[in-house]
Amino acid sequence: MSIDETPSTPPTAPESRFALNEDWAATLLGLLLLGLVLLGVIPTGLVP
Amino acid sequence: MTTDATRATDPSAPTDAAATPTADPATPRADAATPAVDAATPAADAAVETRPDQAVESRPGPTDRAGEARSDQAVETRPDPTGPPLVPAGPRAGAFWAWTGLGLLIVLGLAALTRYLEQNVPVFAEGTALEDIAAAIEYPVYAIVLGLLGNAAVTLSGLRDRIAAAFRTEFFIKTGLVLLGASINLAVIASAAGPAIAQAVLLISGVFLFTWWLAGRLGLDDKLRALLASAVSICGVSAAIAAAGAVRARREQLAYAASLVIVFALPSIFILPWLADVLGLEPAVAGAWIGGNIDTTAAVTAAGALAGEEALQIASIVKVTQNALMGVVAVALTAYFTLRVERQAGAARPKLVELWHRFPKFVLGFIAASVIATWYLDAAGSDGKATIAVVNDLRVWFLILAFVSIGLEVRVTALREAGWRPVAVFASATVFNLLLALGLASLLFRDFAA
Repeated sequence: MSIDETPSTPPTAPESRFALNEDWAATLLGLLLLGLVLLGVIPTGLVP
Repeated sequence: MTTDATRATDPSAPTDAAATPTADPATPRADAATPAVDAATPAADAAVETRPDQAVESRPGPTDRAGEARSDQAVETRPDPTGPPLVPAGPRAGAFWAWTGLGLLIVLGLAALTRYLEQNVPVFAEGTALEDIAAAIEYPVYAIVLGLLGNAAVTLSGLRDRIAAAFRTEFFIKTGLVLLGASINLAVIASAAGPAIAQAVLLISGVFLFTWWLAGRLGLDDKLRALLASAVSICGVSAAIAAAGAVRARREQLAYAASLVIVFALPSIFILPWLADVLGLEPAVAGAWIGGNIDTTAAVTAAGALAGEEALQIASIVKVTQNALMGVVAVALTAYFTLRVERQAGAARPKLVELWHRFPKFVLGFIAASVIATWYLDAAGSDGKATIAVVNDLRVWFLILAFVSIGLEVRVTALREAGWRPVAVFASATVFNLLLALGLASLLFRDFAA
């Protein structure tokens, strides 16, 4: 069956909240790492 | 959002219930009445293929309250509709985490090898005929090539689908982009915002309408038209997933659109920086062209990194701007399909709050990192640059993880059954996007200065 013909499987649901949570997780992790570097917790030379 | 749609709905994916954690009957995905978010894994696909059509047609519509409630419950424990395998309940959870841990080790190992090669190959090649070539190869090349080799290895060994939950390209790239914000002065973002928004609006409108029109001329299904048009005009797989939710496209359509995005993005990573060099584009124009043309954010970042630091910064700003407009398109598509294509009596109009729900939140982190780093550098002076260099090292690690994951995720089998028309539409739209983006970037970013 071609991809654009009669449906055989159900439709996708509206975008789930997990995608949004992944966005927030990436944001928080990125800002946390930035904060740790600026505070000196992750010093120069530690990251290879 | 991930590119896992390809993996999740690939017909070649294993359907062995014993080997697939999501086949656990205790999980909600085994329930035929559960909304489609739960049916994204190979195991669920196998279950769906055997379902009677009645079960499919009896699914709740987008405005069905009960369906919404079940969907909300479902997403508490599972990733997006095309995400990697879900966390299974019961005794299989241990095996799931063990396989995912192994997958993470593989991703990290390949990333470490990438970093090692990037730093040492030029040293090893010094004084040889390969010196110039070795010096020109940057980390995206090593990462993607190693990811592809790893892909072949885990596919041949039968491990791929078990460890696929570790291939979190989108999470890695979003974290990398937040960290990238720290290396971009707020003044650059402020200066680039105007032309970036103008380019994004014109480009998204032009490419979306062209793709929609061409796909209609070739007789493609309206939902596939929406997916392809969103994917090629906005930001690849993320946009395709948002559009799939908006128009309630079928999972194989989403998998197909995602596969097209990845297959077209991979060569673009290398071709566009090369073309920008051949055409003699200024770094800002090259960055705006790359950011406006390549579909996936990860691929934009890889190509931008190959084109240089300034090009990378502008490409990222342009791409992030397009990401931010994804919500607008998703809401417009929801309205169009609800009110025009699939008229439903009493269907609720999409609410404006959907704009916020669909807004990519990492954009806020990107801007916040720029604000914080700009303030820090103003306060710390030149001493602060060494500190920001550490942030840049972390950023490179996350980008490498994302590029390795791209290589590991590529799967072309989903394209085989689709026929030539969607490929023709996507290829034509890509060429149209290439030319329109070049024109707009040359116009809007000529003589760009922060």
